[in-house]
Amino acid sequence: MDLSVNLAPHHKVELRLRNPVMTGSGTSSNGVELAKHYDVEQLGALVSKGTTLRPRRGNPTPRTVETPAGMINSIGFQNIGVNALIQQVAPIWEQWTVPAIVNIMGDTLEEYGLLAARLDGIPGVAGLEVNISCPNVEVGGLEFGQDPELAVDVVREVARNTSLPYLVKLTPSVADIRPVAEAVALAGAHALTVSNTIPALAIDVKRRRPALANVFGGLSGPAVKPIALRNVYLAASVVDIPVVASGGIMSGEDALEFIMAGATAVQVGTATFLDPEAPWRIVRELTAWCETEGVARLDDVRGAARRRD
Amino acid sequence: MRSFDAEVVDTDRLYGSTHILWFRPRPLMDRARPGQFAMAYCGEGADPLLGRAMSVHRLREGRDGREFSFLFDVTGRGTEWLSRRRAGDSVRLVGPLGRGFEPRARVQRMLLVGGGIGVAPLVWLADELAAEGREVTLVLGGRGEPQIFPPHLLPPAVEVVVTTEDGSLGERGRVTAPFERLLPWCDQAFACGPDPMFEALYRVARDSGLRKPVQGLLEARMACGVGICYSCAVFPRRGGVKLVCTDGPMFDLRDLY
Repeated sequence: MDLSVNLAPHHKVELRLRNPVMTGSGTSSNGVELAKHYDVEQLGALVSKGTTLRPRRGNPTPRTVETPAGMINSIGFQNIGVNALIQQVAPIWEQWTVPAIVNIMGDTLEEYGLLAARLDGIPGVAGLEVNISCPNVEVGGLEFGQDPELAVDVVREVARNTSLPYLVKLTPSVADIRPVAEAVALAGAHALTVSNTIPALAIDVKRRRPALANVFGGLSGPAVKPIALRNVYLAASVVDIPVVASGGIMSGEDALEFIMAGATAVQVGTATFLDPEAPWRIVRELTAWCETEGVARLDDVRGAARRRD
Repeated sequence: MRSFDAEVVDTDRLYGSTHILWFRPRPLMDRARPGQFAMAYCGEGADPLLGRAMSVHRLREGRDGREFSFLFDVTGRGTEWLSRRRAGDSVRLVGPLGRGFEPRARVQRMLLVGGGIGVAPLVWLADELAAEGREVTLVLGGRGEPQIFPPHLLPPAVEVVVTTEDGSLGERGRVTAPFERLLPWCDQAFACGPDPMFEALYRVARDSGLRKPVQGLLEARMACGVGICYSCAVFPRRGGVKLVCTDGPMFDLRDLY
């Protein structure tokens, strides 16, 4: 059985994953903590915590709140910064064969270019995920992802500064995800991640104020899965680059739903908070399903649930 | 750091609205130390979604080995679900997690201070320290008598001082008064309770000029408990950011305030 996928089929450097199960950015730190307990080589790829040019302390607490079948977070990009990532984390990744993808987030167009340039050619870094969809920062982030023209500017800026394969992580906060997906793909993105958290709010009635210190945050978990599924289906209908699904994937069956909607790979995020072994369990469940169903390659079921026109 | 199902062997409303859950022995939990915790996943399926961080309250010898327990108040959907577990039910746990208390090896006089449900991890610490033949004084504070852990459930060697805000049991007032009184006596102090209590204890310890080490076991809202969600950040006064789940939950109070 071959579960491997290539996330950059149109690029000279391929981004080959031994299976389609990745960690989602911001939900497994930089993979190093989980690697102390589990075998990272069994995963398809690791995606780093959102990384910025300079280190950030992140937002005040409370940073997360539980909601029905979901959670809202506003961590605010607490991260060690790209230089520390290169010095301290990339050498660890270099010892692994599992591809490590760095999620990058800039406040400005220029910062995306600087981040891409800093990471280009760093041993241990297999690719980038360009975050134009974070709801938890005041500038940049989300607004780049809501406007196809701005999104294209970011893609071009990244492309100019790196030879690495890169994914572009889109926001669900648009009326229709297709125009931005199409524009980003045409501009040369190697793959799309669909999608990020959904901007949301929870109120603490006892304290008569927002549950999160930052007021708003991003909703994730099983609650968002049907929305992400629709967005993956729509995005996959307008692009011919791989679509990586992200949104409430808790099980192998959830992963299959996204694959049947057209996804090439899946990212496991919030599920890892509930069970640090979740990405590994999902690999096992996917493999078992393929064995039971006699499916030799995931290509055979990819997009199976799509309407044939 | 593994996910496993733990079977409930015994459950009780121990005092006031505080419950205890005893679990059948699990080899993983044999490695736990006082002050460490586990994430407890409540409910069936994905709602409620996240685990509840529960410090290990106490151990006892059961039929099949060392049983462990959680002590908790019902404060929401998760703990309400936990309070309804009965013998034979199981609860999914991830643990043991975090950095627990670190008693110094060759010191004798140990002062423990628990505010409200913060007593939970201190009971196990008191059990261990008393069994090692050290002198232990445990200060228990609460709003009133219903919030005070029953002293008769502690080892006889442990000296207990009770404070209640309404004066219904022990001294009227807060734990800071006996803490200040006992600080010169002790070699090392340990505390668990709400954040304002830690800050008050830190001030007393600092102003005493005695330079006594005080280890605080922090409580924070966590989504994962294992250092990957970054929910439980604390911002030490001197700068930087720490995670309660993996850098703590035990911190020397001087490193925070």
